[in-house]
Amino acid sequence: MAAAAASGPAGPAGPESRALGYTLHRWSSFSSTYLPENILVDKPNDQSSRWSSESNYPPQYLILKLERPAIVQSITFGKYEKTHVCNLKKFKVFGGMNEENMTDLLSSGLKNDYNKETFTLKHKIDEQMFPCRFIKIVPLLSWGPSFNFSIWYVELNGIDDPDVVQPCLNWYSKYREQEAIRLCLKHFRQHNYTEAFESLQKKTKIALEHPMLTDLHDKLVLKGDFDACEELIEKAVNDGLFNQYISQQEYKPRWGQIIPKSTKGDGEDSRPGMRGGHQMVIDVQTETVYLFGGWDGTQDLADFWAYSVKENQWTCISRDTEKENGPSARSCHKMCIDIQRRQIYTLGRYLDSSVRNSKSLKSDFYRYDIDTNTWMLLSEDTAADGGPKLVFDHQMCMDSEKHMIYTFGGRILTCNGSVDDSRASEPQFSGLFAFDCQCQTWKLLREDSCNAGPEDIQSRIGHCMLFHSKNRCLYVFGGQRSKTYLNDFFSYDVDSDHVDIISDGTKKDSGMVPMTGFTQRATIDPELNEIHVLSGLSKDKEKREENVRNSFWIYDIVRNSWSCVYKNDQAAKDNPSKSLQEEEPCPRFAHQLVYDELHKVHYLFGGNPGKSCSPKMRLDDFWSLKLCRPSKEYLLRHCKYLIRKHRYNSGDGFF
Amino acid sequence: MSTSGFTFKDRCVSVLCCRFCQQVLSSRGMKAVLLANTEIDLYSTDIPPTSTVDFIGSCYFTDICKCKLKNIACLKCGNVVGYHVIAPCKPCLLSCNNGHFWMFHSQAVFGINRLDSSGVNLLLWGNLPDLDESTDEDLSGISEEEYIR
Repeated sequence: MAAAAASGPAGPAGPESRALGYTLHRWSSFSSTYLPENILVDKPNDQSSRWSSESNYPPQYLILKLERPAIVQSITFGKYEKTHVCNLKKFKVFGGMNEENMTDLLSSGLKNDYNKETFTLKHKIDEQMFPCRFIKIVPLLSWGPSFNFSIWYVELNGIDDPDVVQPCLNWYSKYREQEAIRLCLKHFRQHNYTEAFESLQKKTKIALEHPMLTDLHDKLVLKGDFDACEELIEKAVNDGLFNQYISQQEYKPRWGQIIPKSTKGDGEDSRPGMRGGHQMVIDVQTETVYLFGGWDGTQDLADFWAYSVKENQWTCISRDTEKENGPSARSCHKMCIDIQRRQIYTLGRYLDSSVRNSKSLKSDFYRYDIDTNTWMLLSEDTAADGGPKLVFDHQMCMDSEKHMIYTFGGRILTCNGSVDDSRASEPQFSGLFAFDCQCQTWKLLREDSCNAGPEDIQSRIGHCMLFHSKNRCLYVFGGQRSKTYLNDFFSYDVDSDHVDIISDGTKKDSGMVPMTGFTQRATIDPELNEIHVLSGLSKDKEKREENVRNSFWIYDIVRNSWSCVYKNDQAAKDNPSKSLQEEEPCPRFAHQLVYDELHKVHYLFGGNPGKSCSPKMRLDDFWSLKLCRPSKEYLLRHCKYLIRKHRYNSGDGFF
Repeated sequence: MSTSGFTFKDRCVSVLCCRFCQQVLSSRGMKAVLLANTEIDLYSTDIPPTSTVDFIGSCYFTDICKCKLKNIACLKCGNVVGYHVIAPCKPCLLSCNNGHFWMFHSQAVFGINRLDSSGVNLLLWGNLPDLDESTDEDLSGISEEEYIR
């Protein structure tokens, strides 16, 4: 295959992509005056300027024929000026040099709005561009399930310069021929047409597979040398040939309850007590978890702790940080750590409406220096410095490399004169701010908006925000605004100041995205390009009792896909025994989850179990979570088992 | 809801077609005016036209009355052709109405008057069999005689 790829066009700065001319070649059906040709013109204000199918039963399709073979790089769909039930919620695009043999180029869906949408089409195999003459659009689902499919306008973009296309075409023909020969080889060998196999291979010099697989076939199928097969597999495992396979296997979560060592004997003092709304950060270099503040059910806390993973021990850094020129007792604040400079920042807090006044509503901002064990007040009121007003339930991320802090969302605490303050004003949400730690200056990057434009973002509370230190993007998802649960997902490139919508939350990929509206906690692994989400207990009292469960989700940033690692359908009522509780943490909210991406371990502490019978109850349990994939050893054992099973069945007399 | 005045028996029965795609939406249409605003004329029908239209969007209220409404769109072309009164408001119920809960905008549909079995006279609502008694009324609404002629 490598030799074939080299024969393709090298293509220095490739020729420009342009709109490709096409005609309507074939279609499944059309209704009334909604002819297929209508998709050639873009008239968003004319309801009749569209193709509409006669039925919504698949297979409905349109086949477009390009003027000449081209590398088709993208497809753009125009729409009607208003929403329309016939818009395609789900569709597929196929392409090929002839109608009979088409490959899958795209599976996606359109939003039900008036904006044009452009999608990149698959146009490379093994980094090599391939041409198409026909493009087939297959609608799968319309926005109104019982309605016919309509397409208003289609534009194809790509390269049709024969100087570029011809070599690709040559390569593609050659590639297809090779694949056909390989299929023949496979067929011949499977049916034991040894002579045909050997002569075809000799003539074409095409390798069917990796020599190791040929070797395995020889030993396993031809010679029945099972001991040699086991040796071969053992070598393959040790050479890491299964690593990619392992990386694609699903994780299994492994929870472990941490019972820290206590020095004094009195458990009370040697570890942090029950709380929710606290904050935790982890220094992955020293494997130390820092915990500060929270709400114990009746009051805010100001104690500050460090847990050493290596020692398995909590150390109380301070019983009351306020006495050490640090922050006062608080909960629902946020904390982030600068591992390079060994500093911890804290911002925001929640205040009961009874204690809100112009003085208490100042947003103080502190920094703790780990090495000198000292607190420093960076600002008495960040709002006065051009930063956020006093907020709670916001998110804060550290960018150690550029020495910046990003904070987004959270509800702004206000002091209302009137007694009935819940109705007095609309809740206000804080925007996206950047804090330059060097210059100690704030900058407002995005105001709270209602997603009016593509670069706008909607502020919120209870969301997740994570900083990817490698691609330098913030990832934001979930949360709520007043009573609306948000399930959009976007990234924000901190260097280019650009918002990229990953999912607008309208396409419900049924069950394939984590439930929102739950008090989820998330972490990021920049190395593995993964985001981890532990969904918590619903804040919604009605949902809480009946649907109490944990679930753990992983988002693969590169593949743009979610997967659910596990769900527990823990029926709390049916299971009064503590056995389950010892295996994994009970569902909760107001807990904290931190992740050590170096050692691949999560740590979870405390929170509110949401028991309506004991509203003041808070938790002080401490857990570690490891996500495990099948090990090399497990795989090797399994392969050996398969070989031995085959050996037994083939009557080798091994047993 | 709508009214056509004092009595409905002498109103013509019309076939309602979608103006956009010519699809027949109902064969029991009645020309009517809106109770809450007699300036607006529309068509209405009594039997749910479930095989030709479907609901789109969510329920809403208008400024002129408190009837709870939901838009309906032609199943063939997907365009909005009218609305269904999900829950009528009290003033509309109390005033003289034709009992129809399915409305079609006159900009979205056109009506063709039907003829009775004689093939000469216009078919009137008074000539139609009562809904309660005749459950087997052909939903297409067009009798065999009419096909023959």
